[in-house]
Amino acid sequence: MSDTIEIGKGYIAWAKDETTRGKGASGGFVTALMVAALEKKFVDNVLVVKKKGVYEGIPTMTNDVEKVLNAAGSLHSAPVNLAKYVKKSGKVAMPAKPCDARGVIEQAKRNQVDIENVFLIGLNCGGSMSPVPTIRMVKELYELDPASVVSEEILRGQLIFNTNDGEKAIKIDEVEDKGYGRRVSCRYCITNIPEMADLACGNWGVPKDKFGNATFVQVLTEKGVEIFKNAVDAGYIEFESASEKSSKMREKIDSTMRNLAEEWHKKVFSEVDSLTSSDRLAYYIDVFKNCIDCGSCRKICPVCACGDDSKCLQMEYEDDSYKLSMFHMVRLLHLMDSCIGCGQCEEVCPVDIPLTMIHRRFAERMQSRLGHIPGMNMDTPPFYEVELRS
Amino acid sequence: MEFEPEIVAFCCNWCSYGGADTAGVGRMQQPPTTRVIRVMCSGRIDPAFVLMSFLEGADAVLVTGCHINDCHYIDANYKTKNRFEFLEEMVDELGLEPERLRLEWISASEGEKFANAIKEVTENARKLGPSPLRREGVL
Repeated sequence: MSDTIEIGKGYIAWAKDETTRGKGASGGFVTALMVAALEKKFVDNVLVVKKKGVYEGIPTMTNDVEKVLNAAGSLHSAPVNLAKYVKKSGKVAMPAKPCDARGVIEQAKRNQVDIENVFLIGLNCGGSMSPVPTIRMVKELYELDPASVVSEEILRGQLIFNTNDGEKAIKIDEVEDKGYGRRVSCRYCITNIPEMADLACGNWGVPKDKFGNATFVQVLTEKGVEIFKNAVDAGYIEFESASEKSSKMREKIDSTMRNLAEEWHKKVFSEVDSLTSSDRLAYYIDVFKNCIDCGSCRKICPVCACGDDSKCLQMEYEDDSYKLSMFHMVRLLHLMDSCIGCGQCEEVCPVDIPLTMIHRRFAERMQSRLGHIPGMNMDTPPFYEVELRS
Repeated sequence: MEFEPEIVAFCCNWCSYGGADTAGVGRMQQPPTTRVIRVMCSGRIDPAFVLMSFLEGADAVLVTGCHINDCHYIDANYKTKNRFEFLEEMVDELGLEPERLRLEWISASEGEKFANAIKEVTENARKLGPSPLRREGVL
């Protein structure tokens, strides 16, 4: 316990309390961290995903320790983005997948969140799954009764569903070859480690003897040091420095995941990539024809912050005879520099327009032209950047 | 009937609208394809206006403003420049021909430059034919 906590260093940490360790994933570090923050009044609230079975989770802002303990453990088939649930109300700690953390940062740039008061406990993420396809997968591929599943986990490249009669594990590659598994936008996402958050936690790089009972934590900011120290001082967490080998192992997993994502990127984008430019226009006209103007994609987007007076709504007339809707044109334009590729728009679209793929097509070329990656730091979105004459 | 393109030209009040005026006063020949929209400053041109022009049926859009560092509002045409980059990528990714969109800095005295820009844009649009985003049916 003589180690000090420093920015940039990696640690192996776990919850001191045995029940917390049992409830949470990988040693209950994140749960213990949040409980300590609440009990020591380090934060006013925490934002957790309340579990509603294996296939559903509801984001909840709470200061009740009991609720935090009940929310412990990972939940892969509740693909919510927490960014829009954070409000400007006191200090908040929240677990954050990379896309949650990037969403919060984009909201902060748009003055919806006070970033100094939000403690982002980043979680390594290899992807999440949509509830309905997951239920179908459990039925068809795992041949289990979806209602009998008590928990799920992803371990060593395998997707495991536990029932009261035992567990059934299938390799993720195999699952995805058969068309099930992670959401499409997660498959080609290359941000697995939340380097923009305050802490980055996960089981990648945990040594064999502690695997399943400890978390690899990378401390990334001063805020991260504070919340970590708070939990250690309060006696909720024990930790030791991570070895070189652990860090290397973690990096290796990350780079494997990235390579895999790049392959998926090629696969997902190849259909539209292979079109000529005039066919591409015809494709866009064709897919956007299905839009029923429900506005869900705008409402769910963790980057958008205009509210009900947004330009995309103001410039849209439902009875115009345009070949493409102004709503989507304005959204594509405004998200070109800011789309973080979280996949929420595709997730909620009731007519299954591949919105995330389309937004990424526009965003990737603009972001690479600008050399700007949104959600990584507090840099102004380039669309609003004004180069002043000196 | 031969195809005659429709071109929307955004002109700023202080420079390029003056340039258009100079072109007229100087009796410089230019095709009657342009619909000029006067704005106080090119920085006022929201990229969405340009996209809407295309959806309304413009075959090409010309965005004009004061020369960089000559803006009446000091630095607003830097915004135009910035936003135009977004438009370029947008038009390209949508699959419209990049020649349908053009940015020109034209001062009030550059009547000839304005007339030439109109001529070139019209010529390009004639070659490309009607915009695929043109609305169908009776308008």
